[in-house]
Amino acid sequence: MSIIETALHDVNVTVEAQDYQQSGIHAQAEIQAEQLKSVCRALHSFCFFLETVTAVDNLSTETMQGVWFFNHYRQSARFKVVIETGRNNPVFPSIGAIYPGAVWHERETGEFFGIVYDGSKDSRCLLLPEDVTFHPLRKDFKRPEQQIAGIH
Amino acid sequence: MFDSQTAATYNLETVGDQENDFILNLGPQHPGTHGVLRVVLHMDGEYILSADPVLGYGHRMQEKIAETLTYTQVLPYMARMDYLSALSYNQAWVCLVEKMCGYEVPRRAEYIRVLTTELNRISSHFLWFGAFLLDLGAFTPFLHAFEDREKILDLLETLTGSRLTYCFFRFGGVGADVDSVFLKGAQDFVDHMRSHLASYHDLVTGNVIFQERTRDVGVILPFDTWGYGLTGPVLRGSGEKYDVRLREPYSIYPELDFEIPVEQTGDCLARYLVRLQEIEESLNIIEQTIAGMPEGPIRSKVPKIIKPPEGEATMSVETPRGELMIYAVSDGSKIPYRVKYRVPSFANLSIFSKMAKGQLLADALAVLGSLDLVIPEVDR
Repeated sequence: MSIIETALHDVNVTVEAQDYQQSGIHAQAEIQAEQLKSVCRALHSFCFFLETVTAVDNLSTETMQGVWFFNHYRQSARFKVVIETGRNNPVFPSIGAIYPGAVWHERETGEFFGIVYDGSKDSRCLLLPEDVTFHPLRKDFKRPEQQIAGIH
Repeated sequence: MFDSQTAATYNLETVGDQENDFILNLGPQHPGTHGVLRVVLHMDGEYILSADPVLGYGHRMQEKIAETLTYTQVLPYMARMDYLSALSYNQAWVCLVEKMCGYEVPRRAEYIRVLTTELNRISSHFLWFGAFLLDLGAFTPFLHAFEDREKILDLLETLTGSRLTYCFFRFGGVGADVDSVFLKGAQDFVDHMRSHLASYHDLVTGNVIFQERTRDVGVILPFDTWGYGLTGPVLRGSGEKYDVRLREPYSIYPELDFEIPVEQTGDCLARYLVRLQEIEESLNIIEQTIAGMPEGPIRSKVPKIIKPPEGEATMSVETPRGELMIYAVSDGSKIPYRVKYRVPSFANLSIFSKMAKGQLLADALAVLGSLDLVIPEVDR
Protein backbone atom coordinates (compact mmCIF):
# COMPACT_ATOMS: atom_id res chain seq x y z
CA MET A 1 0.00 0.00 0.00
CA SER A 2 1.47 3.33 -0.99
CA ILE A 3 1.81 6.21 1.44
CA ILE A 4 -1.01 8.01 -0.38
CA GLU A 5 -3.45 5.17 0.31
CA THR A 6 -2.22 4.90 3.88
CA ALA A 7 -2.76 8.61 4.48
CA LEU A 8 -6.24 8.55 2.98
CA HIS A 9 -7.32 5.32 4.64
CA ASP A 10 -9.94 6.99 6.82
CA VAL A 11 -11.18 9.36 4.16
CA ASN A 12 -13.76 7.94 1.84
CA VAL A 13 -12.15 8.66 -1.53
CA THR A 14 -11.07 6.42 -4.40
CA VAL A 15 -7.37 6.71 -5.18
CA GLU A 16 -6.53 5.71 -8.75
CA ALA A 17 -2.94 4.73 -9.46
CA GLN A 18 -1.45 6.46 -12.51
CA ASP A 19 1.31 5.53 -14.91
CA TYR A 20 4.21 7.40 -13.34
CA GLN A 21 6.65 6.93 -16.23
CA GLN A 22 4.17 8.44 -18.64
CA SER A 23 2.61 11.22 -16.61
CA GLY A 24 4.88 11.93 -13.64
CA ILE A 25 1.90 11.47 -11.31
CA HIS A 26 1.72 8.51 -8.95
CA ALA A 27 -1.96 8.65 -8.09
CA GLN A 28 -4.96 10.86 -8.48
CA ALA A 29 -8.38 11.16 -6.90
CA GLU A 30 -11.52 12.83 -8.17
CA ILE A 31 -13.39 14.01 -5.13
CA GLN A 32 -16.33 16.15 -4.11
CA ALA A 33 -15.76 19.72 -2.96
CA GLU A 34 -16.85 18.98 0.60
CA GLN A 35 -14.24 16.20 0.90
CA LEU A 36 -11.27 18.46 0.07
CA LYS A 37 -10.60 19.68 3.59
CA SER A 38 -10.63 16.22 5.13
CA VAL A 39 -8.32 14.97 2.36
CA CYS A 40 -5.95 17.88 3.02
CA ARG A 41 -5.98 17.34 6.77
CA ALA A 42 -5.11 13.67 6.25
CA LEU A 43 -2.30 14.55 3.81
CA HIS A 44 -0.94 17.27 6.08
CA SER A 45 -0.77 14.93 9.03
CA PHE A 46 1.30 12.56 6.87
CA CYS A 47 3.68 15.42 5.99
CA PHE A 48 2.69 15.73 2.36
CA PHE A 49 3.78 19.11 1.06
CA LEU A 50 1.66 21.27 -1.17
CA GLU A 51 3.15 21.60 -4.64
CA THR A 52 0.58 23.84 -6.21
CA VAL A 53 -3.06 24.78 -6.53
CA THR A 54 -4.26 25.35 -10.07
CA ALA A 55 -7.17 24.82 -12.43
CA VAL A 56 -7.98 23.73 -15.96
CA ASP A 57 -10.79 25.36 -17.91
CA ASN A 58 -12.60 23.01 -20.29
CA LEU A 59 -14.66 25.03 -22.71
CA SER A 60 -15.93 22.01 -24.65
CA THR A 61 -17.47 20.30 -21.64
CA GLU A 62 -18.37 23.54 -19.84
CA THR A 63 -16.48 22.43 -16.75
CA MET A 64 -13.81 23.90 -14.51
CA GLN A 65 -11.35 21.48 -12.96
CA GLY A 66 -9.77 22.51 -9.70
CA VAL A 67 -6.39 20.76 -9.41
CA TRP A 68 -4.27 20.33 -6.28
CA PHE A 69 -0.82 18.74 -6.35
CA PHE A 70 0.80 17.19 -3.31
CA ASN A 71 4.11 15.42 -2.94
CA HIS A 72 6.16 13.93 -0.17
CA TYR A 73 9.68 14.82 1.00
CA ARG A 74 10.65 11.32 2.10
CA GLN A 75 9.41 9.33 -0.87
CA SER A 76 8.34 9.95 -4.39
CA ALA A 77 4.54 10.23 -4.23
CA ARG A 78 2.98 12.90 -6.40
CA PHE A 79 -0.74 13.00 -5.74
CA LYS A 80 -3.22 14.94 -7.82
CA VAL A 81 -6.60 15.89 -6.43
CA VAL A 82 -9.30 16.97 -8.86
CA ILE A 83 -12.65 18.60 -8.25
CA GLU A 84 -14.89 19.28 -11.20
CA THR A 85 -17.54 21.96 -11.27
CA GLY A 86 -19.41 24.13 -13.77
CA ARG A 87 -17.38 26.91 -15.35
CA ASN A 88 -19.88 29.65 -14.50
CA ASN A 89 -18.93 31.17 -11.15
CA PRO A 90 -16.83 28.24 -9.92
CA VAL A 91 -16.34 27.96 -6.16
CA PHE A 92 -13.89 25.65 -4.37
CA PRO A 93 -13.18 25.39 -0.66
CA SER A 94 -10.04 27.15 0.54
CA ILE A 95 -7.36 25.04 2.22
CA GLY A 96 -5.37 28.03 3.49
CA ALA A 97 -6.15 27.16 7.11
CA ILE A 98 -4.55 23.72 6.70
CA TYR A 99 -1.77 24.56 4.25
CA PRO A 100 -0.82 28.22 4.82
CA GLY A 101 1.20 28.19 1.60
CA ALA A 102 -2.01 27.58 -0.34
CA VAL A 103 -3.21 31.15 0.22
CA TRP A 104 -0.94 32.60 -2.45
CA HIS A 105 -1.65 29.78 -4.90
CA GLU A 106 -5.38 30.33 -4.39
CA ARG A 107 -5.06 34.09 -4.88
CA GLU A 108 -3.19 33.49 -8.15
CA THR A 109 -5.53 30.82 -9.49
CA GLY A 110 -8.55 32.79 -8.33
CA GLU A 111 -7.62 35.90 -10.31
CA PHE A 112 -6.53 33.95 -13.42
CA PHE A 113 -9.68 31.84 -13.67
CA GLY A 114 -12.33 33.80 -11.79
CA ILE A 115 -12.55 31.11 -9.14
CA VAL A 116 -13.73 31.90 -5.63
CA TYR A 117 -11.94 30.00 -2.89
CA ASP A 118 -14.59 29.84 -0.21
CA GLY A 119 -13.32 30.66 3.28
CA SER A 120 -9.99 32.16 2.19
CA LYS A 121 -8.82 34.86 4.56
CA ASP A 122 -7.09 36.73 1.74
CA SER A 123 -8.66 36.92 -1.71
CA ARG A 124 -6.93 40.00 -3.10
CA CYS A 125 -5.29 39.89 -6.52
CA LEU A 126 -1.72 38.65 -6.30
CA LEU A 127 -0.03 39.10 -9.67
CA LEU A 128 -2.59 41.10 -11.66
CA PRO A 129 -3.38 44.73 -10.85
CA GLU A 130 -6.06 45.11 -8.17
CA ASP A 131 -8.61 46.66 -10.57
CA VAL A 132 -8.68 44.06 -13.35
CA THR A 133 -12.09 42.90 -14.51
CA PHE A 134 -10.99 39.94 -16.66
CA HIS A 135 -9.60 36.47 -16.04
CA PRO A 136 -6.87 35.81 -18.60
CA LEU A 137 -6.64 32.03 -18.35
CA ARG A 138 -10.32 31.40 -19.01
CA LYS A 139 -10.57 29.93 -22.48
CA ASP A 140 -13.19 32.47 -23.60
CA PHE A 141 -10.90 35.38 -22.69
CA LYS A 142 -9.87 37.41 -25.71
CA ARG A 143 -6.63 39.32 -25.73
CA PRO A 144 -6.95 43.06 -26.46
CA GLU A 145 -5.70 42.71 -30.04
CA GLN A 146 -8.22 39.93 -30.63
CA GLN A 147 -11.02 42.09 -29.26
CA ILE A 148 -10.16 44.92 -31.65
CA ALA A 149 -9.68 42.86 -34.79
CA GLY A 150 -12.48 40.45 -34.00
CA ILE A 151 -10.22 37.45 -34.64
CA HIS A 152 -10.23 34.30 -32.55
CA MET B 1 2.65 57.08 10.27
CA PHE B 2 0.17 54.29 10.86
CA ASP B 3 -2.84 54.56 8.62
CA SER B 4 -5.57 52.00 9.19
CA GLN B 5 -6.80 52.19 5.60
CA THR B 6 -3.38 51.30 4.21
CA ALA B 7 -3.11 48.57 6.81
CA ALA B 8 -6.43 47.12 5.63
CA THR B 9 -5.37 47.28 1.96
CA TYR B 10 -2.23 45.30 2.67
CA ASN B 11 -3.83 42.95 5.17
CA LEU B 12 -1.48 44.14 7.93
CA GLU B 13 -2.46 43.13 11.40
CA THR B 14 -3.56 46.01 13.57
CA VAL B 15 -1.53 45.03 16.58
CA GLY B 16 0.65 47.22 18.73
CA ASP B 17 0.68 50.88 19.60
CA GLN B 18 -0.93 52.66 16.68
CA GLU B 19 0.17 56.12 17.86
CA ASN B 20 3.86 55.47 17.33
CA ASP B 21 3.87 52.70 14.72
CA PHE B 22 4.39 53.45 11.09
CA ILE B 23 4.02 51.77 7.73
CA LEU B 24 7.15 51.46 5.65
CA ASN B 25 7.21 50.79 1.95
CA LEU B 26 10.19 48.70 0.84
CA GLY B 27 10.70 48.51 -2.90
CA PRO B 28 9.74 47.79 -5.66
CA GLN B 29 13.05 49.44 -6.57
CA HIS B 30 15.24 48.51 -3.65
CA PRO B 31 18.61 46.76 -3.88
CA GLY B 32 17.71 44.52 -0.95
CA THR B 33 14.76 42.92 -2.70
CA HIS B 34 16.76 41.73 -5.76
CA GLY B 35 14.25 42.63 -8.38
CA VAL B 36 10.93 44.39 -8.49
CA LEU B 37 9.53 43.04 -5.25
CA ARG B 38 7.69 45.37 -2.94
CA VAL B 39 7.12 44.69 0.74
CA VAL B 40 4.77 46.77 2.85
CA LEU B 41 5.90 46.67 6.46
CA HIS B 42 4.15 47.62 9.66
CA MET B 43 6.98 48.82 11.87
CA ASP B 44 7.39 49.47 15.56
CA GLY B 45 10.65 51.36 15.53
CA GLU B 46 13.22 49.02 14.02
CA TYR B 47 11.04 45.96 14.54
CA ILE B 48 8.62 44.49 12.02
CA LEU B 49 5.13 43.73 13.31
CA SER B 50 3.77 42.39 10.06
CA ALA B 51 4.79 42.34 6.43
CA ASP B 52 2.97 41.93 3.16
CA PRO B 53 4.89 41.20 -0.04
CA VAL B 54 3.25 42.84 -3.05
CA LEU B 55 3.96 40.92 -6.25
CA GLY B 56 3.25 41.32 -9.91
CA TYR B 57 5.54 44.18 -10.98
CA GLY B 58 7.30 41.85 -13.39
CA HIS B 59 4.25 39.81 -14.32
CA ARG B 60 4.11 38.75 -17.99
CA MET B 61 1.42 36.05 -17.91
CA GLN B 62 3.83 33.34 -19.05
CA GLU B 63 1.15 30.66 -18.72
CA LYS B 64 -1.10 32.47 -21.18
CA ILE B 65 1.81 33.03 -23.56
CA ALA B 66 2.45 29.29 -23.51
CA GLU B 67 -1.16 28.64 -24.49
CA THR B 68 -0.75 30.70 -27.66
CA LEU B 69 2.53 29.27 -28.97
CA THR B 70 3.70 25.89 -30.23
CA TYR B 71 5.77 23.64 -28.00
CA THR B 72 8.95 24.68 -29.79
CA GLN B 73 8.16 28.38 -29.54
CA VAL B 74 7.63 28.11 -25.77
CA LEU B 75 11.21 26.90 -25.24
CA PRO B 76 12.97 30.33 -25.39
CA TYR B 77 10.51 31.70 -22.84
CA MET B 78 11.84 29.26 -20.25
CA ALA B 79 15.04 31.26 -19.88
CA ARG B 80 13.07 34.42 -19.16
CA MET B 81 11.52 33.13 -15.97
CA ASP B 82 14.50 32.22 -13.86
CA TYR B 83 17.24 34.00 -15.75
CA LEU B 84 19.90 32.70 -13.35
CA SER B 85 19.21 29.03 -14.01
CA ALA B 86 17.92 29.11 -17.56
CA LEU B 87 19.29 25.64 -18.30
CA SER B 88 17.28 24.00 -15.50
CA TYR B 89 14.17 25.51 -17.03
CA ASN B 90 15.28 24.38 -20.48
CA GLN B 91 15.67 20.91 -19.10
CA ALA B 92 12.25 20.85 -17.47
CA TRP B 93 10.50 21.83 -20.69
CA VAL B 94 12.38 19.53 -23.05
CA CYS B 95 12.06 16.60 -20.63
CA LEU B 96 8.34 17.25 -20.30
CA VAL B 97 7.78 17.23 -24.06
CA GLU B 98 10.04 14.19 -24.45
CA LYS B 99 7.99 12.43 -21.79
CA MET B 100 4.69 13.31 -23.45
CA CYS B 101 5.84 12.30 -26.93
CA GLY B 102 8.13 9.42 -25.97
CA TYR B 103 11.28 10.80 -27.63
CA GLU B 104 14.62 9.16 -26.96
CA VAL B 105 17.64 11.20 -25.89
CA PRO B 106 21.18 10.04 -26.80
CA ARG B 107 23.52 9.40 -23.87
CA ARG B 108 26.01 12.04 -24.94
CA ALA B 109 23.23 14.64 -24.97
CA GLU B 110 22.21 13.67 -21.43
CA TYR B 111 25.79 14.10 -20.27
CA ILE B 112 26.08 17.50 -21.93
CA ARG B 113 22.79 18.54 -20.35
CA VAL B 114 23.89 17.61 -16.87
CA LEU B 115 27.34 19.14 -17.33
CA THR B 116 25.97 22.50 -18.48
CA THR B 117 23.10 22.55 -15.99
CA GLU B 118 25.48 22.00 -13.08
CA LEU B 119 27.77 24.77 -14.36
CA ASN B 120 24.70 26.96 -14.48
CA ARG B 121 23.79 25.94 -10.92
CA ILE B 122 27.21 27.03 -9.69
CA SER B 123 26.98 30.37 -11.50
CA SER B 124 23.57 30.94 -9.92
CA HIS B 125 24.92 30.17 -6.47
CA PHE B 126 27.85 32.54 -7.06
CA LEU B 127 25.50 35.37 -7.90
CA TRP B 128 23.45 34.59 -4.80
CA PHE B 129 26.64 34.48 -2.71
CA GLY B 130 27.73 37.90 -3.89
CA ALA B 131 24.33 39.51 -3.59
CA PHE B 132 23.57 38.00 -0.20
CA LEU B 133 26.80 39.30 1.32
CA LEU B 134 26.20 42.65 -0.32
CA ASP B 135 22.89 42.71 1.58
CA LEU B 136 24.83 42.13 4.76
CA GLY B 137 27.21 44.96 3.94
CA ALA B 138 30.20 42.97 2.73
CA PHE B 139 31.43 44.16 -0.63
CA THR B 140 34.61 42.14 -1.26
CA PRO B 141 33.03 38.65 -1.53
CA PHE B 142 30.80 39.99 -4.29
CA LEU B 143 33.88 40.75 -6.41
CA HIS B 144 35.38 37.31 -5.79
CA ALA B 145 32.12 35.56 -6.67
CA PHE B 146 31.60 37.56 -9.83
CA GLU B 147 35.12 36.95 -11.02
CA ASP B 148 34.58 33.20 -10.76
CA ARG B 149 31.08 33.42 -12.19
CA GLU B 150 32.51 35.21 -15.20
CA LYS B 151 34.60 32.12 -15.97
CA ILE B 152 31.46 29.99 -16.18
CA LEU B 153 29.64 32.52 -18.33
CA ASP B 154 32.60 32.70 -20.74
CA LEU B 155 32.70 28.92 -20.90
CA LEU B 156 28.99 28.54 -21.54
CA GLU B 157 29.06 31.35 -24.08
CA THR B 158 31.47 29.41 -26.28
CA LEU B 159 29.08 26.45 -26.26
CA THR B 160 25.61 27.97 -26.25
CA GLY B 161 26.16 31.40 -27.76
CA SER B 162 24.59 33.31 -24.90
CA ARG B 163 25.71 34.34 -21.46
CA LEU B 164 22.52 34.33 -19.42
CA THR B 165 19.25 33.46 -21.14
CA TYR B 166 20.32 30.18 -22.68
CA CYS B 167 18.12 28.35 -25.11
CA PHE B 168 20.44 25.44 -25.65
CA PHE B 169 18.52 22.20 -25.17
CA ARG B 170 16.47 20.73 -27.98
CA PHE B 171 13.72 18.14 -27.96
CA GLY B 172 15.64 14.89 -28.13
CA GLY B 173 19.08 16.38 -27.54
CA VAL B 174 21.11 19.54 -27.26
CA GLY B 175 21.93 22.39 -29.64
CA ALA B 176 25.67 21.90 -30.04
CA ASP B 177 28.34 19.37 -29.31
CA VAL B 178 31.09 19.92 -26.77
CA ASP B 179 34.66 19.82 -28.03
CA SER B 180 37.89 19.04 -26.23
CA VAL B 181 38.54 22.76 -25.65
CA PHE B 182 35.28 23.12 -23.76
CA LEU B 183 35.86 19.99 -21.71
CA LYS B 184 39.36 21.14 -20.83
CA GLY B 185 38.00 24.56 -19.87
CA ALA B 186 35.40 22.92 -17.63
CA GLN B 187 38.02 20.69 -16.01
CA ASP B 188 40.32 23.69 -15.46
CA PHE B 189 37.45 25.52 -13.82
CA VAL B 190 36.75 22.59 -11.49
CA ASP B 191 40.42 22.42 -10.49
CA HIS B 192 40.53 26.16 -9.94
CA MET B 193 37.36 26.20 -7.83
CA ARG B 194 38.41 23.26 -5.68
CA SER B 195 41.31 25.31 -4.35
CA HIS B 196 39.60 28.68 -4.55
CA LEU B 197 36.47 27.70 -2.62
CA ALA B 198 38.58 27.53 0.53
CA SER B 199 39.19 31.25 0.21
CA TYR B 200 35.41 31.83 0.25
CA HIS B 201 35.24 30.09 3.59
CA ASP B 202 38.28 31.98 4.87
CA LEU B 203 36.82 35.27 3.76
CA VAL B 204 33.23 34.83 4.88
CA THR B 205 32.20 31.69 6.74
CA GLY B 206 34.50 32.20 9.71
CA ASN B 207 33.91 35.93 9.88
CA VAL B 208 32.46 36.95 13.28
CA ILE B 209 30.26 39.72 11.89
CA PHE B 210 28.84 37.38 9.27
CA GLN B 211 28.14 34.71 11.87
CA GLU B 212 26.40 37.19 14.13
CA ARG B 213 24.26 38.48 11.31
CA THR B 214 23.09 35.05 10.15
CA ARG B 215 23.10 32.64 13.09
CA ASP B 216 19.60 32.11 14.56
CA VAL B 217 18.20 34.69 12.16
CA GLY B 218 15.12 33.74 10.14
CA VAL B 219 14.74 30.25 11.51
CA ILE B 220 12.36 28.03 9.54
CA LEU B 221 10.99 25.25 11.70
CA PRO B 222 10.56 21.83 10.10
CA PHE B 223 6.82 21.98 10.81
CA ASP B 224 6.40 24.95 8.48
CA THR B 225 8.26 23.40 5.57
CA TRP B 226 5.53 21.19 4.20
CA GLY B 227 2.71 23.61 5.00
CA TYR B 228 4.33 26.22 2.77
CA GLY B 229 5.67 23.72 0.23
CA LEU B 230 9.30 24.81 0.62
CA THR B 231 11.91 23.16 -1.55
CA GLY B 232 15.56 23.57 -2.46
CA PRO B 233 18.32 24.88 -0.18
CA VAL B 234 15.70 26.72 1.90
CA LEU B 235 14.19 23.36 2.83
CA ARG B 236 17.50 21.52 3.14
CA GLY B 237 18.70 24.18 5.56
CA SER B 238 15.88 23.02 7.84
CA GLY B 239 17.06 19.42 7.89
CA GLU B 240 14.92 17.76 5.23
CA LYS B 241 16.89 15.78 2.67
CA TYR B 242 14.65 16.42 -0.29
CA ASP B 243 16.09 16.96 -3.72
CA VAL B 244 14.34 16.12 -6.97
CA ARG B 245 17.61 14.72 -8.32
CA LEU B 246 17.46 12.19 -5.49
CA ARG B 247 13.73 11.63 -5.04
CA GLU B 248 12.51 11.62 -8.64
CA PRO B 249 15.74 11.09 -10.58
CA TYR B 250 15.78 12.25 -14.17
CA SER B 251 18.44 12.27 -16.89
CA ILE B 252 21.65 10.52 -15.76
CA TYR B 253 21.57 11.62 -12.11
CA PRO B 254 20.93 8.11 -10.73
CA GLU B 255 24.28 6.98 -12.21
CA LEU B 256 26.28 9.80 -10.66
CA ASP B 257 27.83 9.83 -7.24
CA PHE B 258 27.00 12.96 -5.25
CA GLU B 259 25.70 13.97 -1.86
CA ILE B 260 22.70 16.11 -0.95
CA PRO B 261 23.98 18.60 1.65
CA VAL B 262 21.68 19.13 4.63
CA GLU B 263 21.94 21.46 7.62
CA GLN B 264 19.77 21.19 10.70
CA THR B 265 19.49 24.66 12.21
CA GLY B 266 17.15 26.27 9.67
CA ASP B 267 18.63 29.77 9.97
CA CYS B 268 20.27 31.98 7.37
CA LEU B 269 23.65 30.45 8.14
CA ALA B 270 22.33 26.95 7.44
CA ARG B 271 20.98 28.01 4.06
CA TYR B 272 24.31 29.66 3.29
CA LEU B 273 26.25 26.51 4.20
CA VAL B 274 23.94 24.28 2.15
CA ARG B 275 24.51 26.37 -0.96
CA LEU B 276 28.27 26.44 -0.56
CA GLN B 277 28.32 22.66 -0.13
CA GLU B 278 26.12 22.35 -3.19
CA ILE B 279 28.77 24.15 -5.20
CA GLU B 280 31.25 21.46 -4.17
CA GLU B 281 28.80 18.68 -5.07
CA SER B 282 28.14 20.27 -8.44
CA LEU B 283 31.89 20.34 -9.04
CA ASN B 284 31.92 16.59 -8.33
CA ILE B 285 29.11 16.02 -10.80
CA ILE B 286 30.84 18.09 -13.48
CA GLU B 287 34.05 16.14 -13.04
CA GLN B 288 32.19 12.84 -13.38
CA THR B 289 30.38 13.93 -16.53
CA ILE B 290 33.64 15.12 -18.12
CA ALA B 291 35.34 11.82 -17.28
CA GLY B 292 32.44 9.69 -18.45
CA MET B 293 31.42 11.67 -21.52
CA PRO B 294 30.40 9.01 -24.07
CA GLU B 295 30.86 9.28 -27.82
CA GLY B 296 27.88 9.34 -30.10
CA PRO B 297 25.16 11.56 -31.53
CA ILE B 298 23.88 14.62 -29.66
CA ARG B 299 20.38 14.66 -31.07
CA SER B 300 17.83 12.01 -31.92
CA LYS B 301 15.45 12.34 -34.78
CA VAL B 302 12.24 14.09 -33.76
CA PRO B 303 9.42 15.35 -35.96
CA LYS B 304 9.52 19.00 -37.05
CA ILE B 305 5.98 19.62 -35.81
CA ILE B 306 5.50 18.44 -32.28
CA LYS B 307 2.07 17.17 -31.39
CA PRO B 308 1.97 15.31 -28.08
CA PRO B 309 -0.93 12.88 -27.76
CA GLU B 310 -3.96 13.93 -25.77
CA GLY B 311 -3.32 13.75 -22.06
CA GLU B 312 -1.41 15.42 -19.29
CA ALA B 313 2.02 15.13 -17.73
CA THR B 314 4.18 16.72 -15.06
CA MET B 315 7.92 17.08 -15.00
CA SER B 316 9.93 18.31 -12.08
CA VAL B 317 13.59 19.24 -11.94
CA GLU B 318 15.82 20.63 -9.24
CA THR B 319 16.74 24.22 -10.03
CA PRO B 320 19.24 26.08 -7.80
CA ARG B 321 16.24 27.44 -5.90
CA GLY B 322 14.26 24.25 -5.48
CA GLU B 323 11.69 22.15 -7.22
CA LEU B 324 10.35 23.40 -10.51
CA MET B 325 7.35 21.43 -11.68
CA ILE B 326 5.69 21.99 -15.02
CA TYR B 327 2.21 20.59 -15.51
CA ALA B 328 1.00 20.50 -19.09
CA VAL B 329 -2.28 19.41 -20.59
CA SER B 330 -2.33 18.52 -24.28
CA ASP B 331 -5.42 18.31 -26.46
CA GLY B 332 -3.51 16.63 -29.28
CA SER B 333 -2.79 19.84 -31.19
CA LYS B 334 0.56 21.56 -31.66
CA ILE B 335 -0.28 24.22 -29.07
CA PRO B 336 -0.39 23.32 -25.34
CA TYR B 337 -3.90 23.44 -23.90
CA ARG B 338 -2.75 24.43 -20.44
CA VAL B 339 0.68 24.93 -18.89
CA LYS B 340 1.27 25.51 -15.20
CA TYR B 341 4.65 26.45 -13.80
CA ARG B 342 5.12 25.54 -10.16
CA VAL B 343 8.13 27.71 -9.37
CA PRO B 344 10.28 27.28 -6.26
CA SER B 345 10.79 30.96 -5.41
CA PHE B 346 7.04 31.52 -5.23
CA ALA B 347 6.56 28.99 -2.44
CA ASN B 348 9.80 30.04 -0.72
CA LEU B 349 8.74 33.70 -0.67
CA SER B 350 5.28 32.91 0.69
CA ILE B 351 6.76 32.09 4.09
CA PHE B 352 8.49 35.47 4.31
CA SER B 353 5.66 37.36 6.02
CA LYS B 354 5.62 34.74 8.74
CA MET B 355 9.40 34.86 9.17
CA ALA B 356 9.60 38.64 9.19
CA LYS B 357 7.32 39.03 12.21
CA GLY B 358 9.25 40.37 15.17
CA GLN B 359 12.50 40.71 13.24
CA LEU B 360 14.68 43.76 12.91
CA LEU B 361 14.38 45.34 9.49
CA ALA B 362 18.05 44.67 8.75
CA ASP B 363 17.56 41.01 9.67
CA ALA B 364 14.54 40.76 7.41
CA LEU B 365 16.74 41.86 4.52
CA ALA B 366 19.21 39.13 5.46
CA VAL B 367 16.30 36.66 5.44
CA LEU B 368 15.14 37.87 2.01
CA GLY B 369 18.68 37.44 0.73
CA SER B 370 19.01 33.96 2.20
CA LEU B 371 15.85 32.80 0.40
CA ASP B 372 17.65 33.38 -2.94
CA LEU B 373 14.69 34.85 -4.78
CA VAL B 374 14.44 35.54 -8.47
CA ILE B 375 11.48 37.86 -8.79
CA PRO B 376 10.74 37.33 -12.52
CA GLU B 377 10.33 33.68 -11.59
CA VAL B 378 7.86 34.52 -8.81
CA ASP B 379 5.90 36.90 -11.03
CA ARG B 380 6.24 34.89 -14.26
